[in-house]
Amino acid sequence: MIDVGAMVPAISQWLPRQRWYSGQVEPETLTIIDQEIRGDRFPVLVRLLVEADRHIYQVLVGVRSRDDHSDFLRGHEQAVVGDVATHQGDAMAYDAVHDPELALVILDAVAPHEKAQRARLMSAEQSNSSIVYDERIILKLFRRIQRGHNPEVEITEALAARGFKCVAEPLATQRVRDFDLALLQPFLSGAAEGWALALTSLRDLFGLNDTASIPIINIDEPPPQPLDPAQAGGDFAGEAARLGAMTGAMHVALADAFGRHHADSKAWAEAIAAQADGLEPGDVDRRAIQRILDRLADIDAGAAIRVHGDYHLGQVLRTDAGWYVLDFEGEPARPIEERRRPSTPLKDVAGMLRSFHYASAVARTERDEYALEDLAAAWEDRNRKAFLRGYMNAAGPGNILPADPECVGAVLAAFELEKAVYELGYERAYRPDWAHIPLAALRRLTEREQ
Amino acid sequence: MTDAIGGSWFQRAVFYEVLVRGFFDSNNDGTGDIRGITERLDHIQWLGADCLWLLPFYQSPLRDGGYDISDFFSILPEYGDLADVVTLIEECHRRDLRIIADLVMNHTSDQHAWFQESRQDRTNPKADWYVWSDDDTRYPDARIIFIDTERSNWSWDPVREQFYWHRFFSHQPDLNYDNPEVQQAMLDVVRFWLDLGLDGFRLDAVPYLYERDGTNGENLPETHDFLKQMRKEIDASHPGTVMLAEANQWPADVVDYYGEGDECHMCFHFPLMPRMFMAVRREQRYPITEILAQTPEIPDSCQWGIFLRNHDELTLEMVTDDERDYMYNEYAKDPRMKRNIGIGRRLAPLVDNNRAVAELLHALLFSLPGSPVLYYGDEIGMGDNIYLGDRDGVRTPMQWTPDRNAGFSKADFAQLYLPPLMDPVYGYQAVNVEAMQRDAGSFLHWMQRVLQVRRQHGDVLGFGSLEILSAENPSVLAFLRQLGDRIMLCVNNLSRFAQPVELQLARLSGKMPVELFGRVPFPLIGELPYFLTLGGHGFYWFELVDAPSVAQQ
Repeated sequence: MIDVGAMVPAISQWLPRQRWYSGQVEPETLTIIDQEIRGDRFPVLVRLLVEADRHIYQVLVGVRSRDDHSDFLRGHEQAVVGDVATHQGDAMAYDAVHDPELALVILDAVAPHEKAQRARLMSAEQSNSSIVYDERIILKLFRRIQRGHNPEVEITEALAARGFKCVAEPLATQRVRDFDLALLQPFLSGAAEGWALALTSLRDLFGLNDTASIPIINIDEPPPQPLDPAQAGGDFAGEAARLGAMTGAMHVALADAFGRHHADSKAWAEAIAAQADGLEPGDVDRRAIQRILDRLADIDAGAAIRVHGDYHLGQVLRTDAGWYVLDFEGEPARPIEERRRPSTPLKDVAGMLRSFHYASAVARTERDEYALEDLAAAWEDRNRKAFLRGYMNAAGPGNILPADPECVGAVLAAFELEKAVYELGYERAYRPDWAHIPLAALRRLTEREQ
Repeated sequence: MTDAIGGSWFQRAVFYEVLVRGFFDSNNDGTGDIRGITERLDHIQWLGADCLWLLPFYQSPLRDGGYDISDFFSILPEYGDLADVVTLIEECHRRDLRIIADLVMNHTSDQHAWFQESRQDRTNPKADWYVWSDDDTRYPDARIIFIDTERSNWSWDPVREQFYWHRFFSHQPDLNYDNPEVQQAMLDVVRFWLDLGLDGFRLDAVPYLYERDGTNGENLPETHDFLKQMRKEIDASHPGTVMLAEANQWPADVVDYYGEGDECHMCFHFPLMPRMFMAVRREQRYPITEILAQTPEIPDSCQWGIFLRNHDELTLEMVTDDERDYMYNEYAKDPRMKRNIGIGRRLAPLVDNNRAVAELLHALLFSLPGSPVLYYGDEIGMGDNIYLGDRDGVRTPMQWTPDRNAGFSKADFAQLYLPPLMDPVYGYQAVNVEAMQRDAGSFLHWMQRVLQVRRQHGDVLGFGSLEILSAENPSVLAFLRQLGDRIMLCVNNLSRFAQPVELQLARLSGKMPVELFGRVPFPLIGELPYFLTLGGHGFYWFELVDAPSVAQQ
């Protein structure tokens, strides 16, 4: 009833408006490599796999009559694909994930045994769209896809099979041709992001500063003691330690599931050095960077294992049953084979520690009070230590980590450096106001080397 | 004794815990008494409590705050006599108030006539009423509860020349429940007080009634059997009576004391209390939601007892290893929450005398599942005197007026059992019932009002299910209480800063939230997330009603 081929120009124009589209402008070529139509009356679901300028996308198009007055598209104009002619008359096409009725059809295609009443679209991510059904299950639809196993599906399945409790176990997956298209999991009800918890803790700490008693000005009196984050009501260290323990357990489970591989620390050092070439001349002392990387190249760096790859406070959720980890997709912009390549588990640790720094810097920036710098640093220091304590206990020395604590420190410093270099590039390109955060981290890392 | 929806009175009751010694002195001897409580029932009734809980008033040498009873059938003379208790019970019932009292089942004072007889020799009629032994090595797995003062659960009696068993202080020998005469004697005690009109008991230290080799002597099946037998007897003779157990254990273990609804009616929920404080300290909901997630369902005819302040507190050795780690990390280490400090503080000083926090904590207490238990004086935000030591710091005289001795007694100041608070923040000149009654904006008036609203919704709050709602903002704790088609939505901001929250309420689309304090209608719930903003430490109680079909003018 629908001429899918006729929709190609509209889809081409529509793609650049989607967050998960990797290009900036309309693709030069667009080929439909798979199509499926569900329903013979409106609303109709059209699932397409399209190749646009060598990238492949899952496009889910809903089609309804032009006379339809459903208001789910209100405020989501970017979701409208355009007009389309059908045997039942003029219709309009749009991104089907916004359509609560078609969302149930999408679920049925993935998991026919799951019955749901209501659907809501969660905010869209860089590479996928997630729909929550009845506040009970969540369907992640991969929009930017690649041939081969999606690491998200692969790792989530492997961890759940190993009895690792801190991932939501897969309930169903959808695989078409050679592509993973969807993953259905229980919705973690009552969960909040680690990022939100960290900022809550920091705002509490800074609020304590607001109501600290004012010292009586008298030169004979000792200066007031600085505030200690350990004394603050919103102390995060207990959470950070449990988060570290969960992370350690995750790495042990990943190593058990995918094996322990040889760590080529020389290659890692070279790769990081290549990235650091992109730094600007005044940023940091290059010789200090080189010293950090030389040390990495020289040591026993422990094992290389499958890792999360994009680990930060936004990827972990606090639930009533403790911390959970999400999003094993890795960096969606990188090729799948690169994302599946084993690395040091300390890469994830470095990612989380960088995230603690970001949280403290962002919370301080929110208040625009640079006097809070010491307090923010004290918070970061306390929670770094707590996280590492929890992590080391769970990961165990000599299992996946180097046996020598000094080697652990050397690998960690190198990967914190890598992450900060990446962040600096990103911030300069997209959020120049935030570039000071990774720059401060780089300087802190390299100053220790002088 | 059941009402229209099939529940019992205690399932929706608000309890008010009274220290006889500290409430009101009717004869001006410096010590509060039973008649003093009778004279001040107006206050409790006006406040909106449903049931008084009296701390021990029995004859006692008072070496453990009256929990060392030397005669179950008479009153400590300083407090009055049996006739005073009967008058108090009658006066309560005339006002539709109920009244329960502490009862210690596990042990007596060593001054009790039963023990004095039992210790004489090994053959007297009460020789087996206590637990005697020639050596002090039996039951090695039973932990010592008061490790600060006791080195063993056995103590040597030089008269009988044997050791006797005691789980608490050495001056509190454990009764021997293996002896049917002891069981009967204690059931006689229970019947005596119920015949006088008491509506039930808070049963002190119930897990320890029996001892068995190779066990830790806690929660034994024999203990449950005895409690079930007691329940059966009082159900037959005194229906409507409540047995409220103090079993200082983890909720998953405490639920055993409900049996199949055929054992205790109520048990205290111990871990919830510190976690409510911790949630406000941390400005996030997980301390509360975690413990609720670990709280098992209880029989329909039962109820939890929940509280903010109380003279009991969770002991860390009762919890699982994981929980102990959690409590240690999050609670015991916190300078303000250390056990021995926590137990010696009243609510107001614990929250820095912050009224918004006190209101929020009470709003939680009154809306979470369970019957709330208030501690005398907390309704006016009384403080404490940590220099008095032990638990006396929270047992200072009730502050009635700004007059001499806080209006508690006309005795000479030096004669008072404890000095009233006189500091500039919490002292009776600043904090007292009379002044707060005159001030319509006082915390006392707020308490009276919130209890009024709770009473109006007593069915839903007493019997309704609990469902915690998802909220991306960790500082917001939102939940639904539902009983049939009656639904309440409670939203709490645990942070001192204003917070937004989006609630996924699409399945209740078409309902209108009506705020319960002012009956203010809020915008209809639709398909989109329901957006609310809360002021610092703010909360909402809504009733969800069907939207009126026509806009009312």
